[in-house]
Amino acid sequence: MSSSRRKGGGIHAGERRFAFALTMPGLLVLFLTTTFPLLYLIWSSFQTINLAMPFLDGFAGVDNYVQMWGDARFWHAIRLTGIYTTTSVVLQVVIGLGLALLVMQIPAGQWVFRIVAILPIVLAPVVVGLFWRTVMLSPNFGLVDYLIQALGFEQVNWLGAPTPALISVIIIHTWQWTPFAFLVLLASLASLPVDVYEAARIDRANAFQRFWHITLPLLRPAIVIVVIIRSMIALSAFAAIFAATGGGPGTASEILNLYAFKTSFIELNFGYGSALAVSLLVITMVVSGVLFYLRTARHPGTKT
Amino acid sequence: MNVYRHARLLRTIVLMIVTGALLLVWVLPLIWAFVVSLKSEREVLAYPPSVVFEPTWSNYVDALFGSFSIVDSLLTSTIVATATTVLTIALAVPAAYAFARLRLPAKRPLGFYTLATQMVPPVGLVIPYFLILNRLSWLDTYHGMVIVYLTFSLPFAIWLMVSYMEDIPWEMEEAAFLDRASRLQTLWHIVIPQVRGGIAVTVIFVFLNAWNEFLFAVQLGGNTVRPVTVAMYNFVSVEQTLWAKLSAAALVAMLPVVIIGIAAQRQIVKGLTVGAVKGGARK
Repeated sequence: MSSSRRKGGGIHAGERRFAFALTMPGLLVLFLTTTFPLLYLIWSSFQTINLAMPFLDGFAGVDNYVQMWGDARFWHAIRLTGIYTTTSVVLQVVIGLGLALLVMQIPAGQWVFRIVAILPIVLAPVVVGLFWRTVMLSPNFGLVDYLIQALGFEQVNWLGAPTPALISVIIIHTWQWTPFAFLVLLASLASLPVDVYEAARIDRANAFQRFWHITLPLLRPAIVIVVIIRSMIALSAFAAIFAATGGGPGTASEILNLYAFKTSFIELNFGYGSALAVSLLVITMVVSGVLFYLRTARHPGTKT
Repeated sequence: MNVYRHARLLRTIVLMIVTGALLLVWVLPLIWAFVVSLKSEREVLAYPPSVVFEPTWSNYVDALFGSFSIVDSLLTSTIVATATTVLTIALAVPAAYAFARLRLPAKRPLGFYTLATQMVPPVGLVIPYFLILNRLSWLDTYHGMVIVYLTFSLPFAIWLMVSYMEDIPWEMEEAAFLDRASRLQTLWHIVIPQVRGGIAVTVIFVFLNAWNEFLFAVQLGGNTVRPVTVAMYNFVSVEQTLWAKLSAAALVAMLPVVIIGIAAQRQIVKGLTVGAVKGGARK
């Protein structure tokens, strides 16, 4: 096949032209709709663009980045982004895996779990955020607050106090997306080969050994994929936090995403907002690079 | 033997109770939202929250026909999501075919490029788009919104379709080729019918994502283009305490995606796992 792979002519030239014609519209649109705006974003991060003070607009060099380096609110946002992403992804995978292992063992009614699990996934994050902000977490009238008081615990001002607000947005995100991890891992568990377990049972491996030495390594590819997808989504999470706390109180739940948004659209400082967004872009690229490297890295005994 | 069987039965019962309790964590908020939507606003602010009350459908009537009608925004969401879906499929299916089945110059870098565009954080796009669409006077227009929505739907759709295209057997295409069918005929008559299921899954995902989108909609839309997600958010900002009406309106707004979700539950899970299962095998 590859012998005829010459530039220009050959019997495959027509195929290449056809393939090119099929991909070009999509890739051209992709370039115009994503790459061009991104270049524009990078350009504007080197500008002063302030819709409130347009007379100051002009080339700013690296001013925005210098400002960012000395901006405590920026470093605070980075820290929150890290906490928010790692905590929620770890919780999703651990709870999702635990649930999947439990549900695999129940003799009937797995479909109920599948149906229920699909619901949070298909809901709009902004609506989920609004639900939690009002009927779930409101002081006194919210269900969570009521249950906590009914059980005899102290009332918590979930969205109004700094640390509870951060915990709340992590809970909301985890509530909505754990079903994703659960469904993917449940499907992977169901497709695992049975004979390995038979062998293990004959070798008298106990439940924990079976989980640690067989299930976990076999699930590794699926877990890694879930971690990659969920990390990317968590890094750019916006709507649920925006709806539940707006990043507040103060900046208590203001992850980098919200800081860049507010700087641009509330303070109308688009130059600095662009620089913040570029920093998020760089962080996303680095994190995805690391995760993809971990995924392709060789691990003995996990060939699937 | 009897003891053994009893132990097994007990274990199963405990298991069912534990998993059932965990299930409540996800079911309870959804049921609660529905319960609240059937209350009067006065009932909502009763303390402790009431469980027994006279249910009323008036909030739903209000959400549809009353002063808080969301019918206009439902229509807007339908238009935007449908247009996005149609355009995305039209662009993604041919591209995915070329990626999956044909000799394409620079296939690897182009595939990587498509994958990379999927990872751009939306906030990095909403800022330049606001400036660009503002300059073009395309803010708060349908075409502006659909263009922006392509940024997240297109790369995802191409990759999802590639994984379905890779699954179809080669024989049919070869037979068609021997019959001197043109390449375009082969794609249209042979390939596309075989990936109808994959196209359906892609349609579902693109439509759901477009319907649920908020960040672009809230900043690049306006009075003309105001999808339901933005309408919900504005509602809470303006009417802080009308939770019963909010719950009713939100449940109506989410009804389409909930129906799609339940009806296509198996396909969605398959779509979610296509990456997980096949991801390891991708070059």
